[in-house]
Amino acid sequence: MLKMQNLSKVYRTHMIETQALRGFDIHVREGEFVAVTGPSGSGKTTFLNIAGLLEEFSSGQYLIDNVNVAGLDDNARSRLRNEKIGFIFQGFNLIPDLNLFDNVDVPLRYRGFNAAERKRRIEQALTQVGLASRQKHYPAELSGGQQQRVAIARALAGSPKLLLADEPTGNLDSNMARGVMELLEEINAAGTTILMVTHDPELAARAQRNVHIIDGQVSDLTDQTNRALASLSVSPESA
Amino acid sequence: MFRYYLSLGFRSLRRNPVLTTLMVLTLSVGVAASITTLTILHAMSGDPIPHKSDRLLVPLIDNQPVDNPSEDGEPPEQLTYMDAMALWEKKGAFRQTPLYGLGPAIDSGRADLPPFFTEGVAVSRDFFAMFDAPVRHGGAWSEEDDRRGAQVAVISSSLSERLFDKGVDPVGRKLRISDHDFSIVGVLAPWNPVPKMYRLIGGERFDSSEDVFLPMRTAIALEMDRNGSMDCSSDPPAPGFKGILQSECNWVQYWVEVEKTADRAAYADYLAAYVNEQKALGRFGKPINNRLRNLREWMDFLGVVDDDTRTSTWLAFAFLLVCLVNTVGLLLAKFSARPGEIGVRRALGATRGDVFRQYLTEAAVIGIVGALIGLLLTWAALAYIRSMDEGMALVTRLDGGMLLMAVGLSVAASVFAGLLPTWRACQVVPALQLKSQ
Repeated sequence: MLKMQNLSKVYRTHMIETQALRGFDIHVREGEFVAVTGPSGSGKTTFLNIAGLLEEFSSGQYLIDNVNVAGLDDNARSRLRNEKIGFIFQGFNLIPDLNLFDNVDVPLRYRGFNAAERKRRIEQALTQVGLASRQKHYPAELSGGQQQRVAIARALAGSPKLLLADEPTGNLDSNMARGVMELLEEINAAGTTILMVTHDPELAARAQRNVHIIDGQVSDLTDQTNRALASLSVSPESA
Repeated sequence: MFRYYLSLGFRSLRRNPVLTTLMVLTLSVGVAASITTLTILHAMSGDPIPHKSDRLLVPLIDNQPVDNPSEDGEPPEQLTYMDAMALWEKKGAFRQTPLYGLGPAIDSGRADLPPFFTEGVAVSRDFFAMFDAPVRHGGAWSEEDDRRGAQVAVISSSLSERLFDKGVDPVGRKLRISDHDFSIVGVLAPWNPVPKMYRLIGGERFDSSEDVFLPMRTAIALEMDRNGSMDCSSDPPAPGFKGILQSECNWVQYWVEVEKTADRAAYADYLAAYVNEQKALGRFGKPINNRLRNLREWMDFLGVVDDDTRTSTWLAFAFLLVCLVNTVGLLLAKFSARPGEIGVRRALGATRGDVFRQYLTEAAVIGIVGALIGLLLTWAALAYIRSMDEGMALVTRLDGGMLLMAVGLSVAASVFAGLLPTWRACQVVPALQLKSQ
């Protein structure tokens, strides 16, 4: 579904050059639920932005659903993003002066669906997140958890193959976070690949696979944990 | 997609209402100033009879004495009675008419309507066809009436309605004009050519057409006084009306209509031949100094559109430019407050082109609202000008063309003002905005 090989991303200013990602390799298979963890500044968000075609990379190779992203122009990237990728942000990023129906409608408009198809998809997506009855409400009238559900509905409406979630529960209390997480698990169970950046080890543990990023590189978390435990003379099994 | 952008544009008006109000007002005031002055300029400089304005000609002859030429070398702007009548009798063109202004007194004979003065002109029967005067009842008098100076009259619809009941056809009825009985042969429909092209000198150029039209020879025979200008290079040979008729005083306007534009040169030759003929008889001591201008050239020569009107139009457009610069600033402020939304839309699949179209449409929506308010302001400004100067009534009418022009100007101005802010909006890097939300 998503394959990056030897990818690098360098930010340059007049004064300094920052290597955000280097020798970055990752392969996410279709249907996987992958949690991406790592300390602040490790390159998680850069990775997610590149994965979501919101940023370009400096070198290496990136294939999404077998499409080579390198060299695509803005229009092709936007189309690819619109068709294959759904986004969920920590801050929800709903458009405040559009009601829920119109918020979910945004990606469908760019997809060029006709009005009937858009309505069907919007209602289905809002039903899926349990907010079908509040279509005419505005984001400010909802709780944080409900707003994130709308954002999920918006991401789902276009039936993307890949859902990118950046700290989706970061702004929610634990109750709401649990609800959102359960929803993501349902979506994954229905076949959508999910790549979720999180700081929360409890959430990460619920993913099928964890990818840890340190200093702009993927670090094999299992291997590191094993080595750490070994240094403490504890066997992984007993740990 | 355009309808979607349009609906987003209208929704966006509610966001930042203070900024929106400022923008709409700035734009509407600029548009109102421009359209107000443009309406007046347009009406003043408009061609009142475009299909034949190049075939309606004003011939002028220089009868100034050799020792007293005009400063600018131009012949007088009207003809002497002698020349006008000589040219008219020779009928050297397809149609022709002499013309002079009258101030006739109308006596309806009704007790409830005391006698009153009005505006009139003495013309030939060709006048009505030459200037496309619209007829409601009857028509022009006959050639025979012209020849024998019959006491017949064509009157305006407003005079007809004032004298008789509305809807009554007064053709055949008698009317007492300046103490003489006239028979009404025609009633014109309302007629307000702007400017009043057939009488650009000696009358109000932007006033409605006259109430009374009389045959030239009749007015002369009845010695009806001239209501207009006269310039004399020498004293009349005899006192009184008859003396004026024999004088070198220029007071009769003269128009000819040629059948084809190409016939103009032939008429110029004809005019030159007439002058040579008169020279042989001892008139016109100066070398030939004729002029033959068509209607548009005549309007330009007389400066129908005065410099003040042109200057105020330029100033109004300069003011619109200042308004535009302000709108650019306000749009920049409005659009730059929304990088988050742009980031979200980009992330959800909008191309830069989509963002560009959306924001430019939003600017156009401000233009549409600005146009509506601008039209209200224009209407109010024109009404104010009319109330200050009744002579401006005909040139302060907002017509369909100007309405469209106002909307077009406002939308074009707002789109133009929106280009830079929109371009800036398209430069938003979505990745930077999404995290900071």
